[in-house]
Amino acid sequence: MSTSLAADAVTSSPTGPPAVATPRPRRRRQRSRAAAVKLGVFAVLLLLWWAVTAARLVEPLFLPGPGAVWDAFVRANSCHPISTGVDRIVCGEQNYFLWEHLLASLQRIAAGVSAAVVVGVTLGFLMGTVKPIATVVEPYLNFLRSLPPLGYIGLLIVWFGIGDVSKIWLLFLAAFPPIAMATIAGVRGIRPTRVHAVQSLGASRWQVVQHVVLPSSLPSIVEGIRIAVGFAWTTVVAAELNNGIPGIGGLAYISGTQLQTPLVIACIIVIGLAAIALDALIKVVGGLLVPWHGKA
Amino acid sequence: MSEQTRPVGSDGDMSAVVTFDGVSKTYVTDSGDLVQAVTETSLTVQPGEFVCIVGPSGCGKSTVMDMLAGFHEPTTGEIRLGGVRVDGPSADRGVVFQQPNLFPWMTVRKNTELGPRLRGVDAGERRAVAERFLTMVGLEAFMDRKPYELSGGMQQRCQIARVLANDPRIILMDEPFGALDALTRERMQAELLQIWREKRKTVFFITHDVEEAIFLGTRVLVMSARPGRVVLDLPVRLGDGRSGPEMRSLPQFTALRDQVATAIYAAQGAVP
Repeated sequence: MSTSLAADAVTSSPTGPPAVATPRPRRRRQRSRAAAVKLGVFAVLLLLWWAVTAARLVEPLFLPGPGAVWDAFVRANSCHPISTGVDRIVCGEQNYFLWEHLLASLQRIAAGVSAAVVVGVTLGFLMGTVKPIATVVEPYLNFLRSLPPLGYIGLLIVWFGIGDVSKIWLLFLAAFPPIAMATIAGVRGIRPTRVHAVQSLGASRWQVVQHVVLPSSLPSIVEGIRIAVGFAWTTVVAAELNNGIPGIGGLAYISGTQLQTPLVIACIIVIGLAAIALDALIKVVGGLLVPWHGKA
Repeated sequence: MSEQTRPVGSDGDMSAVVTFDGVSKTYVTDSGDLVQAVTETSLTVQPGEFVCIVGPSGCGKSTVMDMLAGFHEPTTGEIRLGGVRVDGPSADRGVVFQQPNLFPWMTVRKNTELGPRLRGVDAGERRAVAERFLTMVGLEAFMDRKPYELSGGMQQRCQIARVLANDPRIILMDEPFGALDALTRERMQAELLQIWREKRKTVFFITHDVEEAIFLGTRVLVMSARPGRVVLDLPVRLGDGRSGPEMRSLPQFTALRDQVATAIYAAQGAVP
């Protein structure tokens, strides 16, 4: 039994996404132009860096040239004599290759942020749905959120020792408040009519949570995780200040104390690039998880 | 307040009688003022009636709907469905909102079978129900699309299918076609009438469009602006073989339209 009008399908053109203001080829051209500009600016900055150091305007100890940084990077990833004219061969820096330092830090971030996702999302849901819990917990969450990680790393070392446990705790404590806050915002931001709609279909309290509250707050949670991972990167150097080898933050810190500025800069660049890559990865995974984000 | 009883759908389900018994609603605004949205209202709606509530914006017609849906509690009085007091939202009263309100993480099909799924109907059966109603509203080719891939009119049809698939005792519609363009709206009105004729379910339909109310309704309630109350309770009988758009040019149609419009203007004049 059909009361439909086939003509409607034509007028409303449901086959494609809604018309976009700029046609596709033009958009692509704009994007490639933007990429060219970015690349140009990068090249200019690199050239400037090289020129300043090559002209010896700055002492190389303070600012080594791009070549020295590249050499430090290569050295950190290969086996080489301990110093010129000495036969003893060492591998990487501080007995680990640079990628091993990076991997160690990534593992800590993964452990800390994973725990933060579990605790942050759970707490966020509780706080977003049960008002008294929010009233009681929110001040503590804000307090924790405003603490600089360096302030309490010492305490964590006393409690959990100098090994990985205290580092992972630090990363967890830095990462979970933004996830909890984002989850709360997601839960509280749900349109009441969405809840009404599912209730009028007969949903119980738990079914409302399962079918509407959870998926509705997913985009917000993904954003929270992105922010938390960013926080974790800024915290990783603090976490690895003590006994942080292997660890990219620890390596950056130790090389600084040993006046190996090229290696410090190489570490900073690697941290920055790794952070950008991880953020892009989360963005892609998040996009797969919530394909409706921004569309509905 | 006069009471109209019109047994339009004599084959209707008697457990679907809706009664408003001295129902009023008073809000407290943020500044602490009391606003009476709806004054004491009593009325009875028989199964199978198509009741259109018209009135100027802010007349409390949405408040009436919210109370009937169970989203808000009346300040005084009570609303009963089949003799049972309305207490919170339930699957008894299906609601079609002005916005399509579909869940973007589900396909059109999954959205439509959500009601039966919440009740634990097995997968095969609910799938069949969803397909039947999606076909009825002309979305059979779009069942595996996501809602945001559909036009506004199609999303609204999906919402209607979702409510029908849940087989509610009465259907509440809050300006469901308000956001659609004129052409789509007229088509949707015609389709809705056809569906109603088949199902003979009680429909409460809120609109500010007088023609829409007369075209669709078997009974038109005109509400005045704040404090909202029913100022006109008008039976509409334009013949049961009511067909298409040509009805709009019948003299009876224009007469009714003028009568309702006059009542609305009079009611608006009463705004302080």
